[in-house]
Amino acid sequence: MNLNWLDAFLITGLFSVFMVIGLALLLHLQMGLARIANFGVVGFWGLGMYVYGVLYVQVDWPFDDPWRFLLSALAGVVAAGISGLLVGWLIADLDEDGVLLGTFGFATIVWILATTETALTKGALGLGGLQFPYRLGNAKQNEALWLLILIVVVALIMLYVWRVHRSPYGRLLVAVGGNEPLAQSLGKPAFRTKLGVFTVGAAGMGLLGVMYGVLERFLETSNLGVDLTLAAVVGLVVGGTARLWGPVVGVALTVGLFDIVIQSYIPLPKSWYGQAIPVLREMVFGAVLIGILLFRPLGILGDMRRDKLMRSMHGE
Amino acid sequence: MVSRVRTSVATVTELFARRPWTQWIAILAAGTLALSLIGGGSFLGKSVVIGLTQHAPLVLAAMGFALLYRLTGLINVAYSETLTWGAYIGWWFNTSLGWNFYASLLPAGLLAGALSVATYLAIFRPAKQRNMGALEMIIMSFGLSILLRYSFQFVFGYPVRFYDVTTSTTARVLGVGVSSFRLLALASVLILAVALYLFIQKSTYGLQIRALASDEDLAQVSGIRPLFVTSLIWFIAGVAGGLAGAFYGVGSNVAYLLGWRQFLFIFLVVMVGGRKSIGGVIIAGIATGIAWAAMNLRLSQTLYAQLVLIVAFIVILKVRGRRTAETGKV
Repeated sequence: MNLNWLDAFLITGLFSVFMVIGLALLLHLQMGLARIANFGVVGFWGLGMYVYGVLYVQVDWPFDDPWRFLLSALAGVVAAGISGLLVGWLIADLDEDGVLLGTFGFATIVWILATTETALTKGALGLGGLQFPYRLGNAKQNEALWLLILIVVVALIMLYVWRVHRSPYGRLLVAVGGNEPLAQSLGKPAFRTKLGVFTVGAAGMGLLGVMYGVLERFLETSNLGVDLTLAAVVGLVVGGTARLWGPVVGVALTVGLFDIVIQSYIPLPKSWYGQAIPVLREMVFGAVLIGILLFRPLGILGDMRRDKLMRSMHGE
Repeated sequence: MVSRVRTSVATVTELFARRPWTQWIAILAAGTLALSLIGGGSFLGKSVVIGLTQHAPLVLAAMGFALLYRLTGLINVAYSETLTWGAYIGWWFNTSLGWNFYASLLPAGLLAGALSVATYLAIFRPAKQRNMGALEMIIMSFGLSILLRYSFQFVFGYPVRFYDVTTSTTARVLGVGVSSFRLLALASVLILAVALYLFIQKSTYGLQIRALASDEDLAQVSGIRPLFVTSLIWFIAGVAGGLAGAFYGVGSNVAYLLGWRQFLFIFLVVMVGGRKSIGGVIIAGIATGIAWAAMNLRLSQTLYAQLVLIVAFIVILKVRGRRTAETGKV
């Protein structure tokens, strides 16, 4: 297959765009529907990535890929899910401030452990020795296939979110997020519902972390900063927190525009790339977040479709 | 005997519930006891001296944050950037204009206060007028924090900056060598903290601030100007943050992440100590500083102390912070 049109830079750019779309879709379930402000996205993502990486590299496996990969990846996803269950249990009955503290604190804990446990994670030096679970002709073909697999995974996440939107479970999430005491007084298990959506979301974020680790083949603690959480939040808010297509549109307009269009196709002075562009990117993201929330709080796509449907049904 | 123990336990629990800061006294006492049991008197002394001198700015920063949190009900993530801003301003006056460090505290505090008021007038006030939800407010302040942080990096440059202060003579306090400069910084932090406390609790403006926080409509009817008083709250909080930032900066160095690195701990101290009173914040801040220093003396890596603090605080919140049923909303 001729892959000349696809350079390595475009692969990483597309990969990060689709990955952030996946994260924003999961965040949409937690923050958009159930109204749990998860500021620790990078923590669940990073935990999945590091559990996978450490098991893959440090354990003396008796068998080789693909089992070695599948078991390590599964462990990463399960670890992220369990941590989601634990953090969810800690914060599900707290106010917004407690939720912010719990999720943000968790992300910091993951960063601390990745930095200090150098025997396992190699700390700030970075953990190498990862590889793709398959071997094709050359590196580019390997990466292109992995990108394709990621796109399939994100599409599956989207399908799941779409199904949630159209199911009784989705309506339960919206009810719990909209007015928790009311949902509770109607006999809905608010605490358990929040716990469930938090656990599933965390496991999904862990899976995306595993996939990122495979593409990079080198895990660095500098990935565990606040940037990734910011990217997912900005994408979600710009597109619209309550809409299925919100994360897709929002991430394409923010991360996609910046990481692919501006960096690859707009001729900028060479000296800008090292330091100025990443800083400008974060500044623009911050400003966009403020502007959208002030002037168009529901995002570009606007309010939930369900509301429009209700209005048309009741003839308003 | 058993019943007597039970009644005294009940009395203590009631006291904790009525006056939350007594919990901190109890924790402080238990911590002191534990520290002296672990390492003897000299270990205790070391922890206290290092904890106070190194983490004094935490108390100041937490007081400023608690003002905003308690009086406006807002969790302002961007508060961390007033620290960074204050540190940079102080550094600039100190190195570029050659001001004495203590003289440079003045512009650092005032300009940080000005930044704080500006963010209120430009962003948080319009947001409140649009009836923005609590969750959206947090996300917006997160965006503001990012915008300011990277703008500072853009303006003040990428390298880590250092204050120009001559290392002074070392004083020995309880067997620990502390630069007299750090002791002076500690003294200024304590004086500022007490002044702030007295201003809020005793002065007329302090009374107005507290009145506005407890019932806005009633305060307005009583002739309090909400815009002025709220701006005053933001200004004082900003001054406290800016000064704390300058002290952090002179203690180690100034970088664009200076405020953000402290934010989690400021927030933890305020959440645990400051739900009811500013006094609780001071005690919680001091206890945290001492515990932090003690752990750093014992643990193999400095980050472990942060880890223990985060876990401990979240557990405290979980145990204590169970939300009461909000029947009013239904």
